[in-house]
Amino acid sequence: MTPDIRSEADSTNGMDMELQFGARSDVGCVRENNEDSFRVAPEMNLFVLSDGMGGLASGEIASRLAVDGVVRHCREAQVNAALPLVGKPIAGISEASNRLASAIRVANQAVHGAAQEKGDEGRMGATLAAIRIEAERMSVAHVGDSRIYRLRGGAFEQLTRDHSFVAEQMRQGRMTAEEAVNSALQSVLIRAIGIDAEVDVEASDELLMEGDTLLLCSDGLTRELSDEQIAAVLGENRDAQKTADSLVDLAKQAGGGDNVTVIVVRCLPKPVGALARIGRWFRHSA
Amino acid sequence: MSKLVLKFDNSVLKEVAVGASEVSIGRSPENGLVIDNPAVSHYHARVFQEEGRLMLEDFGSLNGTFVNGQRVKMVTLKPGDSVMVGKHTIVVTESSEPRGLTTWSGDARPAAPKINETVMLDTKARRDFLQQVAAGGESSQMAPARVKVATLVVRFGKTDRKEYSLTDKLTVVGKSAMATVKLKGWFAPKAAVQINRREDNDYYIGAADKVPNVNGVPIAHPTKLASGDVITVAGIELEFVYRD
Repeated sequence: MTPDIRSEADSTNGMDMELQFGARSDVGCVRENNEDSFRVAPEMNLFVLSDGMGGLASGEIASRLAVDGVVRHCREAQVNAALPLVGKPIAGISEASNRLASAIRVANQAVHGAAQEKGDEGRMGATLAAIRIEAERMSVAHVGDSRIYRLRGGAFEQLTRDHSFVAEQMRQGRMTAEEAVNSALQSVLIRAIGIDAEVDVEASDELLMEGDTLLLCSDGLTRELSDEQIAAVLGENRDAQKTADSLVDLAKQAGGGDNVTVIVVRCLPKPVGALARIGRWFRHSA
Repeated sequence: MSKLVLKFDNSVLKEVAVGASEVSIGRSPENGLVIDNPAVSHYHARVFQEEGRLMLEDFGSLNGTFVNGQRVKMVTLKPGDSVMVGKHTIVVTESSEPRGLTTWSGDARPAAPKINETVMLDTKARRDFLQQVAAGGESSQMAPARVKVATLVVRFGKTDRKEYSLTDKLTVVGKSAMATVKLKGWFAPKAAVQINRREDNDYYIGAADKVPNVNGVPIAHPTKLASGDVITVAGIELEFVYRD
């Protein structure tokens, strides 16, 4: 067997893509504390976001424990490829995506453990949304109602489905979109990190293409801005950090009722040599 | 005017006013108050006005109708009565009562959660809800697996196989290392199209390097595939079918 030796840049990135990211988290205009957390681990192309819930400081603690748990497990697996997966592997997805799902289960254990230690006072939970990119494969995993979107050309697509009561009612045709938006049960989640000892993680593989823009966000963004508004901002094709800033600013201008957190990742073409460029030109025009 | 408030584990699901016409209750969508749960009969019961009184009649339902804990056939309802149908509760109220019963959890929270605050159904409520979802809906992960296997049959073009069973959530057509349907040739795109199995267990085709044609029509946005659809992209032709 040939040992799999690849340079760092090669193993973490697509052959002809470069990832540019920007992120911002803001308390918003109404809340006093920011219960959202995010982590970016560029060496693993790992992007993680969490929206915490719970009384006093619990929400902040929960989301921080959650994002740290994901990064920790992925780092450990990076060093030790034999690191066992936590929980039952999901059928029909890659090893990489199962690793990410496993990392979310680790995050769940961390938050659940901390909550148990604190007893009744410590009722806390969190959402979690994470992506990890290896070459042109992207692993997508989530729990709760934080979302992951992809803009490809003119197509803006939500890659996650909300694990919320109203979303589930809508999927079953028991509620219209309008009823869902106005429902008093808007914020009720049916899956979350930290509530039980085990969590049902949803994970999938996605193909990553040059030109794709990815967005991870907490519901503080999607409560204030419509899909069309978000797609329009992403479609302006500005620098990823500027895009993240402008999404947060717009959500705040629209009311900023909740904490707002966004991570924007753009897949840009990598500068290539003349020969490779011709090859690419041929492929694209074939 | 009287009102029926449908609740599930203390969450208010909907409210229906009882006017001149009766309100039928049941699983079938024709009812005035639909309760989509297997424990509820298609036409379970009805609530109607008679001589100024509010009446409830059970249509001989399998699991019965209970008012304040008693199984009933026909009774007079009064405000505050609690009608159990399956796992759901219908509370009888007068419309003059304040609206917006938004407390959803029975646990001892110091204060009702603010509407904007994310909350989590407690373990029992969630389990009941998920059971209900599993029994009644297809959008759950617990939905039984499709018996038929989605398959791509190559009708034309150079590929590594003649037929592909779509067992993974993501299927890529192209030259890429992660492609299931491997294209050959110098000019083949790395990733021509992608097909995703979404949580509804249906398959959706979307553009990658190429915009595919499905039954001769270019696909700009991810589109659900039906058995018999013909996909044309990057010089190959594939038929999407469900196999036993």
